[in-house]
Amino acid sequence: MSDPNEARTASAQHLPGEAGVWMFIVGDLVIFTLLFAVFLYYRADNVPLFTESQRTLNQTYGAVNTLLLLSSSWFVALAVQGARIGERLNALRLIALAFGCGVGFIGIKYFEYSEKFRAGYNIVTNDFFMYYFLTTGIHLVHVVIGMAVLAFLWHTTRGGEIDAGELSTLESGASFWHLVDILWIALFALLYMLR
Amino acid sequence: MMILIRQPITIVWFILIFATGLSWQFGHGFGFGENYHFASVAILIVTFIKIRFVFLDFMELRAAPKGLRWLFEVWAVLACAILIGFYWSGV
Amino acid sequence: MWCGLYSNDNAVVDINGTIGELKMNIRAQMFCVWSGLGFALLFLVAIWPTADFMPPLAPSLSADAIAEIYRSNTLSIRFGALLMMAASGLMCPFVAVITIQMQRIEGSPPILSYAQLSAGTLNVVFFILPSLIWTIAAFRPERDPQLTLMLNDFAWIVFLMPFTTFIVQNFVFGITVLSDKRERPIFPRWLGYFNFWVAVLFIPGGLLTFFKLGPFAWNGLFVWWIPFSVFLAWYIVMFTMLRAAVSQQAIDEEGSAPA
Repeated sequence: MSDPNEARTASAQHLPGEAGVWMFIVGDLVIFTLLFAVFLYYRADNVPLFTESQRTLNQTYGAVNTLLLLSSSWFVALAVQGARIGERLNALRLIALAFGCGVGFIGIKYFEYSEKFRAGYNIVTNDFFMYYFLTTGIHLVHVVIGMAVLAFLWHTTRGGEIDAGELSTLESGASFWHLVDILWIALFALLYMLR
Repeated sequence: MMILIRQPITIVWFILIFATGLSWQFGHGFGFGENYHFASVAILIVTFIKIRFVFLDFMELRAAPKGLRWLFEVWAVLACAILIGFYWSGV
Repeated sequence: MWCGLYSNDNAVVDINGTIGELKMNIRAQMFCVWSGLGFALLFLVAIWPTADFMPPLAPSLSADAIAEIYRSNTLSIRFGALLMMAASGLMCPFVAVITIQMQRIEGSPPILSYAQLSAGTLNVVFFILPSLIWTIAAFRPERDPQLTLMLNDFAWIVFLMPFTTFIVQNFVFGITVLSDKRERPIFPRWLGYFNFWVAVLFIPGGLLTFFKLGPFAWNGLFVWWIPFSVFLAWYIVMFTMLRAAVSQQAIDEEGSAPA
């Protein structure tokens, strides 16, 4: 069985996927970084309000969601490596697993938001909740788009041998999913864990 | 499947899970006790270390053109510093 | 290649009529491309030095404060709104040339080109209408401040909230760019992703309905500054790339670059 790392070390530098996707990823990251900075900036003016509101968040939900996305990223990375060495069936299974993690994430978000709404918290309750619902909401949209991308990747991988073009598509889609993961890693820390 | 799993990125996954656990502990008093401000800074640093691992190993930037990799490395350091700065201004 | 031009040594030599038609087509397209730039510049002049709406009038201001602004800046606001309304027409030819280039990629039937045409055309409404409403507000500045406040709200919300047609326009353009299967694509692929990114950045505009203060109010970072900058950047980038694409088309079809 060939080593998935072999092909890569042989060809020195390799840009995973298309250059354009990276441009989108960089752009998205810049915007979210701005969002994070703005959040902390306004938080600094109003720490008591923010920490008090933060206490209503369920850290366990946040942590489980983090574990789900970290694992899904792992699955996707494995899938791409598998596709490179011809392990098509395993790649399919891994993409499906990643998709499943996404479903889990959305499920937990559903419970989390429902709990909040029932307790009377919404996007205009106060500044903290504005940022909370906004950032996790925009992130959720990214998750949904990411899952559509995963479904597309699954479909691409399904059809026979994977050629170079399809591999590039896989890498591009995978990179977007990793972005989704990265954004949540930051959100979990900022919203749930910082005191 | 096992051949796929026995790759360096699986170790990275374990590191990420461990780092998440570490953040959790920091957030609950481990290591910093009453100084939760320092714990929060530590959490931010660990967060960006996690993000860096995702960049380099999951997103395969280790083997990508240097320019792109350094763009992300610089962003990671800057973003971490800026966020710590804004956080600290409220302390 | 980024946006370079390729020379074609095998000029398309045909009867004069066809060449004439081609030249007219290219010239018309070029006019449309430059219209876009013209619109962007005029819009900037209208809203900034003329009407002095930079930064936008804050949604948190009281009725009296707003009425005062309309009373003391009446002439500038009237001029600025007039200029913005007049300039908005130039968005139409720009949309047309984008449509034509998309059609070259899509072939027949040019579905997404039409989607873009439809969305891009509607965008013009959300520039003309606010101009007219600001005009109405400045028409009788001696009104009851509450009425002026309402007209002011009306204009800004109509201007900044409707992101939907903008993102559709950018999104379908991006998809079409990415689906270009030619050897030498009409547009570089990064332009498609750029359009996706622009589309995403217009979405926060929808949030202005909830806030009168902060980064999500209509004068905030995510609803005004970012979409405004990105909107102008889009015009400049698209102008550059369309100009290159039309020039290339001229070379491909006639064998010489246009003026």
